Amino acid sequence: MDFTWNAEQVAFRDRLRGVLAANLPDNWEAVAGHGPGSAEITEFSKAFCAMLATEGLLTPHWPKAIGGEGLGPWHQTILAEEMWGHGEPRGAQYMNVNWIGPTLMRYGTPEQQARYLPGISAGSAIWCQGFSEPGSGSDLASLRTRAVRDGDTYRVSGQKIWTSYAGLAETCFLLCRTADDRKKGISILLLPMDTPGITVRQIPSIIGEGDIHELFFDDCVVPAGALFGDEGQAWEIIAFSLTNERLGIPRYHLARAALDRAVSVLKGRGAFVREGVRAEAAKAAALCEAARMASYAIVSRRAGGEAIGAESSSARFATVMAERAVAEFVVEYLPEALADAEPYLKMHHQRGIVAGIAAGAAEIQLNIIATDVLKLPREAR
Amino acid sequence: MDLSLTSDQIAILDALDGMVRPYAAMPIGATGFALTSADLDREIGESGFLDVGRDPDLGAVTAALVVERLARLPFATEAAVSALIGPLLGEGTGGPLCVVDAARLHRPLRFLAPGATVVVLGDAVTSFTAAADQVRAEPESLFAYPMGTLLVDPSTALATRHDISPDHVRTHLRIALAAEAAGLLSAALEVTCTYLADRQQFGRPLATFQALRHRLAEAQVRTNGVRWLALKAAATLDAGDAALALLHAQEAARAVTYDLHQFLGAMGMTLEHPLHLWTYRLKALIGELGGRAEQAAAAADAIWG
Repeated sequence: MDFTWNAEQVAFRDRLRGVLAANLPDNWEAVAGHGPGSAEITEFSKAFCAMLATEGLLTPHWPKAIGGEGLGPWHQTILAEEMWGHGEPRGAQYMNVNWIGPTLMRYGTPEQQARYLPGISAGSAIWCQGFSEPGSGSDLASLRTRAVRDGDTYRVSGQKIWTSYAGLAETCFLLCRTADDRKKGISILLLPMDTPGITVRQIPSIIGEGDIHELFFDDCVVPAGALFGDEGQAWEIIAFSLTNERLGIPRYHLARAALDRAVSVLKGRGAFVREGVRAEAAKAAALCEAARMASYAIVSRRAGGEAIGAESSSARFATVMAERAVAEFVVEYLPEALADAEPYLKMHHQRGIVAGIAAGAAEIQLNIIATDVLKLPREAR
Repeated sequence: MDLSLTSDQIAILDALDGMVRPYAAMPIGATGFALTSADLDREIGESGFLDVGRDPDLGAVTAALVVERLARLPFATEAAVSALIGPLLGEGTGGPLCVVDAARLHRPLRFLAPGATVVVLGDAVTSFTAAADQVRAEPESLFAYPMGTLLVDPSTALATRHDISPDHVRTHLRIALAAEAAGLLSAALEVTCTYLADRQQFGRPLATFQALRHRLAEAQVRTNGVRWLALKAAATLDAGDAALALLHAQEAARAVTYDLHQFLGAMGMTLEHPLHLWTYRLKALIGELGGRAEQAAAAADAIWG
């Protein structure tokens, strides 16, 4: 076991910090406060991600054959920590490099890879993920948006909801029903968002601007080549994708950074003195670091070439506990920081509720841990 | 960064598992509050497993791995302090090691018995071998460790002074106790899951009820966190990391031990089921080194000043 970053990893982190310092504008914290789905960050992300791509820092963890540097999961983790630690200037594109790209690599046809990977590698593509529906949240497999094969096309009708980044995306990674079987009847279409018949409506939200949307598909016609994987293969594919997504955002790192920031503000006012306040901060720090180590343990296994399964749900739940503890610490001991003077603390306050809801609710993660880590018999349904 | 076990660590843990296999289950008919075995203590002492921390290539991380593994046994055996603090004291400190804070002398101490080496953390670090008339055994302690009370003021004992700082020892002790808690949590959770998967009520295993499954899953998350924080602190030997590890361990012990007995129903009140052999050691660890308040204060001091 080695708990230290090697020289190359330290140099990589230093280089990222240098690039961030050189390329983020003076008012960046205020811009970042709008959130990764906002028009402000999306606009900024296009130039910023193109710059990262030129520097070899957008997809350094990808294999060289498809535009990466072949540096692997630890570099992906460092990259994510530094980007999110600096307000995520990649905006919605973090999702592309975390899981859309790797999923395209693993399951896409040569034509799909040729069409979509260059845009992701160049930092110019925005995707959204059409998973949840009004009647299908935690019970995702009950989804009803239907794609019917019609000659060389699919005709898509239905509705998606709580879709991140849909207002600005060019392509939707869309789950839809091609047959009645609960899980084996679900397929994936890579659907251009300019397809006639799509309506997008932004949902006002607590968590930031441009983050969640409703999508309506009214008899949208797409070429059959938009099918991703085989018909009915969606469940297998998204199991792979979600494992990546659950750990894509280093929320433990953000939570710890927000905690340190809050303590720093309190100390500046001479208000980090009472034992009770200090103890709450320490407990929150322990939760952050426990979540960090649980996440690192998984990154380590992935770096060693192992397949990752239910452990990612355990790390995810640890992260939910950490984010909550930090958000509650700030609300209790530094509520005034939630004004615009502290954009990062405000953002944590806004987004701290996301971890327990997105990428599978916290209770779903607990179900997965009970069945697949603790090996308990399945619950009765 | 590579959190996989090295080939040396795998070999050591495999050999350790092989050696302690005869002690993996509670003996039939045992109904004591604490379970100990002089044979196990002797085998471990002679095996050298508690000395891995003295090898710079293996270090405190491997020592913590050994401690975590031994804590999973139903038998209480003094491994944590010997494995992590023994190397700081140099050669010749034999027997079970028992650390006592000079400010908290008058309470039952784990593994305190005649012949034990008592390490006293005061202004300096001293140690002495406890004589029979200096110790009162506490068989009714209600903790699943052998406990004893010190009858003598350590400052009057003929003690050896060690050239190390009390804070340095406290950091190692926090790591030792966190690693021990990780093993205890892991074993307590496992034995509870086994019972609940088997025990039928309302026509189905209790483990199929979500009310229990979610709390068991949370216990898994906490246990995993304790283990990793203990190992990380063993790697860095940083005072803040060690305080966070023991703080998290004491938080987890508080959150989990009550639940696990609750889930066992009436079996959770008996000495026939072995659960208490782990949980009532965890309960003893909750109050070590001043409990969560002291760990939180130490962590805040180390991290934020």
